[in-house]
Amino acid sequence: MPAQLSADIVVIGSGIVGALAARRLAQQGASVLILEAGPRLESARIVAAFRNSPLKGNWMAPYPPSPWAPHPIYVPKDNGYLKQAGPYPYPAEYIRAVGGTTWHWAAQAWRLVPNDVRIKSLYGVGVDWPLTYEELDPWYQEAEEILGVAGADNTGSPRQHPFPMEPVAEPWSMRRFRERLAPAYPVVANTVARNSRGYDGRPACVGNNSCQPICPVNAQYLGINAVEAAEAAGAKLVPNAVVYRIEHDAKGRIAALHYYAPDKSEHRVTGKTFILAANGIESPKLLLLSASSKYPNGLANSSGMVGRHLMDHPSTSLTFYADEELWLGRGPQSPSSINTLRDGAFRSQHAPYRLDFTNISQVYGVTNDLIKEGVYGAEFEKQLRWRAARQVNVKNVLEVLPNPDNRIALSAEKDAMGIPKPEAHYAIDDYTRRAAEVSKADFARIAELMGGTGLRYSAEGQFANNQHITGTMSMGNDPASSVVDAFGRTHDHENLFVCSTGVMPTAATMNSTLTAVALALRTAEHILPAKQARAATAHAGREADLA
Amino acid sequence: MNAPIRCIPLLALIGLLVATPASAADNTDAALLQRGQYLATAGDCVACHTAPGGKPYAGGLTVPTPIGNIIATNITPSTTAGIGHYTEQQFRDTLRRGIRADGRRLYPAMPYTSYAQLTDDDVHALYAYFMHGVAPVDSKPAPTRLPFPFNIRLSMAAWNLLFLDSKPFTPDPAKGAAWNRGAYLVRGLAHCSTCHTPRNLLMAEQSSRELAGGMVGSWSAPNITSDANSGIGGWSEQDLVDYLRLGHARGRAQAAGPMAEAVEHSLQHLEPADLQAIATYLKTVPAQHDPADTRPVDNWGVAFDGIADQRGTALPDDGEQWSGAQLYDAHCASCHQASGEGSFDGGLPPLFHNTATGRADTANLVLVILDGIRWQTGDSGVRMPGFAHALSDHQVANLANYLTLHYGNPAARITATQVANLRAGGAPSHLVALARLAMVVVVVLILAIIVLWRRRKRRRTSSGRA
Repeated sequence: MPAQLSADIVVIGSGIVGALAARRLAQQGASVLILEAGPRLESARIVAAFRNSPLKGNWMAPYPPSPWAPHPIYVPKDNGYLKQAGPYPYPAEYIRAVGGTTWHWAAQAWRLVPNDVRIKSLYGVGVDWPLTYEELDPWYQEAEEILGVAGADNTGSPRQHPFPMEPVAEPWSMRRFRERLAPAYPVVANTVARNSRGYDGRPACVGNNSCQPICPVNAQYLGINAVEAAEAAGAKLVPNAVVYRIEHDAKGRIAALHYYAPDKSEHRVTGKTFILAANGIESPKLLLLSASSKYPNGLANSSGMVGRHLMDHPSTSLTFYADEELWLGRGPQSPSSINTLRDGAFRSQHAPYRLDFTNISQVYGVTNDLIKEGVYGAEFEKQLRWRAARQVNVKNVLEVLPNPDNRIALSAEKDAMGIPKPEAHYAIDDYTRRAAEVSKADFARIAELMGGTGLRYSAEGQFANNQHITGTMSMGNDPASSVVDAFGRTHDHENLFVCSTGVMPTAATMNSTLTAVALALRTAEHILPAKQARAATAHAGREADLA
Repeated sequence: MNAPIRCIPLLALIGLLVATPASAADNTDAALLQRGQYLATAGDCVACHTAPGGKPYAGGLTVPTPIGNIIATNITPSTTAGIGHYTEQQFRDTLRRGIRADGRRLYPAMPYTSYAQLTDDDVHALYAYFMHGVAPVDSKPAPTRLPFPFNIRLSMAAWNLLFLDSKPFTPDPAKGAAWNRGAYLVRGLAHCSTCHTPRNLLMAEQSSRELAGGMVGSWSAPNITSDANSGIGGWSEQDLVDYLRLGHARGRAQAAGPMAEAVEHSLQHLEPADLQAIATYLKTVPAQHDPADTRPVDNWGVAFDGIADQRGTALPDDGEQWSGAQLYDAHCASCHQASGEGSFDGGLPPLFHNTATGRADTANLVLVILDGIRWQTGDSGVRMPGFAHALSDHQVANLANYLTLHYGNPAARITATQVANLRAGGAPSHLVALARLAMVVVVVLILAIIVLWRRRKRRRTSSGRA
């Protein structure tokens, strides 16, 4: 048995959120240990596997799950890891590996809009956050400067300081959307952790259009960059360490973590402070798994809210042919969107949404369509060229309200390590469905303005999952209805913090990563204030002494 | 705090400029400082005299040379740590004769053999700039400590007798103004020969082989004479101007390593007329031909897709077993494209018709794969990632051989041992041992001469007696 591990701070999970909290704490001089259930991946191998694969549209293909730390796979068939209790499926995708799920994200690094944190007070729906947008602003800024965020100013999210970078060059297709939809719909550059110029040693985007499943040049910030930065700051990382139990002492403080190595050998890790950052599904799973006689419903769960308020951003969409050649596929996959519907008085009636344009090359999809339609020969080539040049897609990104019935629970089924699998209970309510209905008028108007033909709406009542796992460990001031406080500290355990998209009490209309990173940096500051600030205080003290 | 005091010379000067009504003198002073700054940029003083992340001109950069590490000095106007106490005469002697204010000799890592060409006017402007345009920094970098015999700075006096031509530049009336300006910049201020002219055993530039190619650490500074194959004979003047200004000439070459630094800190900031002058002069530098270059080094290779027939083949688990094509697919093809053609606008360069793959000497190719290219232009930057951490010596050699075979000079081969050497900072130099050996030889010679002389004297004396 190897020597017992111990550190000031022990972080469970090496995704972008946990790794950036770890980095900040390590920079302040704390000894930091990161436990990651999955293996280390090698970027070049992922790139080579993707380039060598005929399944370009399957973004999980280059990330096969490890036997000891499985993650959900749905193509070619469901591997049965994330159980679905219904009534509506919640087919989340995530990656259990060093660096986490941002190995394959579209680098969308959005802020909330200010009213997102007050929807109960303003619109009588959902809940209010225990902090204000203004309190979040400096943490957003810090996160944006670490990630290297490029963006436009007119997305509805005010800021005190400029973006680290100007927006990424606008692809032709998005320019044409912007020009033709004005003034009815302002189309603006997305806020992305993607370089529009060299930044922090990483190059500018060169437009490979494979952000998902892998940015081959690291122009977009990846969780692995956060991990490497944390390691450079002194944090130690143990891969393939599947934490299966959090151990508490008699007073309810967390004393240790227990993990399995792939050979199922058991290891115990002690520490002073613990950060749970294993994503919005694996984190509540671990809290529920750690039930004891003192905490029979699981840790941090005196409210019974662990795993509850599961949210995402469901989408419906419209695909059509524009009346001009737009050739999607040049530049990043998701460059531009419409942000004017993210907030408004209508939020008392239906969900707000963003309208997002894909810029993913249509060649692969159209090829499959044509084969299915039985088109071949010269006609195939003609049709492929015509359709790939003109086919476009607009989707909504809908808010889902927190509902305790939507939740992650423990399944009776176990994985290969004997650990219960997570089980999703989920439904999409009328508040969200009404917005999907309303947005159809936007879809139709957009198609009209683009001279659209061959309109294909997504199937009635069918929503695409956007993998923005939110809720499940919501923050709030009231320990009876929330899991963590405004600083991410669990109400029940003084030295257990949660850094995750799971702490977001509402989902709003934007990808959740940047908000989770901002909250995690704020949590790290709360655990161990930055030296700069402390040094300044100390310095002021010395000068006062001299005077 | 002494920060305010440090700023006094500059403030005093600015004060002077502001206080007196606009006059020719003011304009001259401001113009003089501006010219001095421009000349300091053209001379790329910052390249050596500023440490990475350090204050401008405060020194501290370690310059590796075959005789040991030389640490660049503080050349800010600090009177305690820099050159604030230098008179203009002392400054001039330093630049042109390699003699410091304290009378000690500089090592020729400081290109005073080039700066010897500087006109009095330019030295005057540089002096004004370094005294009044640069913020003083009161910290002294560690002193240079070279091994014996090079620690005896006086030895440089003898070296200078042999190798220093201290005559300032004299224009050639037979050539045009542009040529003369170019010659002045290339031979003098821009000190191109410091890197691009090969050196003899005593580290002096071989004037007979001007710009025929030299070494900068492990990097090789290529032949930039007018030879059509080995040099830049096939380049147009516009190609040369593009290269100096943009860091690349389309379909020919791009700056990396120390040359990228020269473009970043110096060349890209030069006036168009000066770049044009440099190009004019370079095109006339006598050709130096290397028989190994059987065709122009930027004229090898064609577009070639070595990846397509790898498709469907599973990648070996062991990365050491990956073929050159598989390594290329994983690390290079996303930017340089499957056939090595680069991007449509040349922003991501093609790998064929590129001196990076066309040279018989592959050191630079290997170093670029290991270290990448990183430098900043005004509004953007050039950033090729390095792969030192991702690729083993064997993989780098495998990949580089794939590149030279298909896109470059197929005769250029690279071994893993060569890669390991370059990764470790280059092959060790024997210069110190050679110099020590030479000293023993010299001492033996001197003793022999003394003995001979005495014998002769004795003989002469005895014959006189006779």
